[in-house]
Amino acid sequence: MHLVDRLGGELPRSPATLALDDIQATVLRYRPEPYYGTHVMLRIDDQRAGRELLRNLTPYVASAAEWWRAGEAWISVAVSFTGMVALGLPADSLRSFPEAFRSGMAAQSDELRDYGPNDPKNWDAPFGTGQVHMGVSVFSDSAQAWGETMEMARHHYRRFAGITELSAQDFGAQPGDLNPLGYRDSIGQPAIEGSGVEPLPGQGRPIKAGEFILGYPGEGGAPLPMPHPDVLGRNGTFVGLRKYQSRVGTFNRFLREHARTEQERELLAAKLVGRWRSGAPLTLAPSQDDPALGADPRRNNDFTYADDPHGHQVPLGSHMRRMNPRDTVMTRLADVNVHRIIRRSTTFGAPYDPDATSTEADEVPRGLYFLFLSAKAMETMEFLQQEWINNGNFMDLGDERDPNIGLQEEGATFTIPRDPVRRRIHGIQTFNVLRGGEYFFMPSLSALTWIGGLPAASTRL
Amino acid sequence: MSTSTPTATGSEQVRTVQQKLEQLRDLFADAPEVGRKALENVLTELKTQVSEPRTRMESAGRVGSRQGNVSELTIIAPFAPGGAERLRAFLQLLDGNFDGANKVGSLHDMRFVFLDNDTKLLFCTAFDGDWDPYIDDFVTQIPDYLDILSCGLEGWPGIRSPEVKDYLARHQITAEGWYVAHPDLTVADISRLKRVGQAVDEFLDKVGD
Ligand code: HEM
Repeated sequence: MHLVDRLGGELPRSPATLALDDIQATVLRYRPEPYYGTHVMLRIDDQRAGRELLRNLTPYVASAAEWWRAGEAWISVAVSFTGMVALGLPADSLRSFPEAFRSGMAAQSDELRDYGPNDPKNWDAPFGTGQVHMGVSVFSDSAQAWGETMEMARHHYRRFAGITELSAQDFGAQPGDLNPLGYRDSIGQPAIEGSGVEPLPGQGRPIKAGEFILGYPGEGGAPLPMPHPDVLGRNGTFVGLRKYQSRVGTFNRFLREHARTEQERELLAAKLVGRWRSGAPLTLAPSQDDPALGADPRRNNDFTYADDPHGHQVPLGSHMRRMNPRDTVMTRLADVNVHRIIRRSTTFGAPYDPDATSTEADEVPRGLYFLFLSAKAMETMEFLQQEWINNGNFMDLGDERDPNIGLQEEGATFTIPRDPVRRRIHGIQTFNVLRGGEYFFMPSLSALTWIGGLPAASTRL
Repeated sequence: MSTSTPTATGSEQVRTVQQKLEQLRDLFADAPEVGRKALENVLTELKTQVSEPRTRMESAGRVGSRQGNVSELTIIAPFAPGGAERLRAFLQLLDGNFDGANKVGSLHDMRFVFLDNDTKLLFCTAFDGDWDPYIDDFVTQIPDYLDILSCGLEGWPGIRSPEVKDYLARHQITAEGWYVAHPDLTVADISRLKRVGQAVDEFLDKVGD
């Protein structure tokens, strides 16, 4: 089902001032439920083939027009910096991309605090090798439409000897659409000004579109710098891909070691994230899960932290509160609206198994291709990794890190505020290990057409 | 925060310390008598101290140093005509009450020093972590205060300008030496410890009654 159907077929509309028919659907369209799809990573060895592929594929790339009323299956196309080079973009266009994008995610490991187990040298192929030139993704709410659309996409890129499929990762199709640690996900998303739909209950005020899409004013008032020419940058955005392997054995052992009964375990699991596995937020269901609440998009995000300033319901250090502190009074000056991201989480591999406790279970292929979209995705990812994920100072938590995606050092802690005294759990582990990552640019449809039609003369650098 | 930065191995450190000490002695050979004597007096003590360093100077981003959680920022920039007068009037009005700085939550101290007949500003601060990831937050949260404080500087592009990070980096000078009493404590940590200390005192008062 798509958003509009989940909401009962009605969405309060507001004027659409963005060029929805030029923006790729994935930027605005929520992941359907259930969901099926594939991420394909391509290498372009032959510039002419790459451009021809773009020309052939672009007519099938969905736009965000009526994004709330999704089609059955859609395709998105994103290009990395090495991909832009392989496609022979003019030198001044290449130079106009932000530096972090040009150097690629693997080279930014210091800025992203991707150390130790998350170090790019431990990543799975083909990530971080510079060979990932293009990411083609198919999303669908039905297995059949997914299969047909993938077939069509494959047909297009397999025709060319100069194009290599480096990897193809199927995702979704999990029982209940749960993520690899057994939670419902993709609930909290920013509301975007001018996107044509009123904010959902609890989404907060619409955020300036320029934070998410190039060519529009951002929260600071001005549009963000964009790659040029204008046709290349406008209505495009940046995408970060992070491939996580979920260490399900370690996670389950942690829950068992620190909770005696199943009920306590579930509460601990909820405290780590801020929501029960059903998606019900602890603010609205503090002591017991409420699956009906979790499943209801009109209610499951409709809260603030005004009545929970100390984190007695949603711990200050929980994943959801760190990633979107909403109205939490923080110890460091920050504007929550300039660090928001659009998320498209896609779960792959074996479904979550609550009984798996072995170390082998950690390495059963299972995890998340986490896609985040923002007009300043590189900057935002660095900010989140440095300040809100691998640090706790902003929530007055010292060195404590995000319990879900933080890189935990030996003896790391997780604090659960309680009356009269807090509970501090020692020895929290890294539950999700980074196994790959890339930065992409997700061009507008006119930019895809422009790249596909570049004259041969501009190919010499 | 405790990010893993490579540290020199023990023997390497001792070796470089030896070399540094020798170089220091060589240089002090030309120092005035008082200096030469003073160095000899403390040499043994100094040797143990620097052989077992408790903190290291690390880099704080593009320019500046960092020890543990705390970073230093030193800027020397020329005043634009009239700039010094405006800034002085503003600082005198505040008279040391920087509520905006409290709001930032990461500033340990700030110092504004007017140099060379009011032609240049020396600005020094110690603060937690990095400041540049927060530039967008400053732009939306406290742009006016930052522009009032900085608009007296020659070439100040305005806090909203994409040039602002470059401007600051251009005028920033890394401190050659710098001391922090508690490199592991952020401003937030200190406030928390004060609260905890008070609570413990109250508790002890009750128990001791
Ligand atoms: C394996 C990796 C991850 C897992 C298992 C995970 C899981 C979750 C879950 C269960 C939720 C609550 C439901 C929801 O609102 O969607 C959530 C929310 C969220 N996560 Fe993650 N996440 C992961 C990675 C990330 C990363 C890498 C980021 C960003 C850098 C991130 C940012 C967020 C944000 C912004 C929210 C919404 C918070 C809100 O609006 O209240 N997550 N995540």
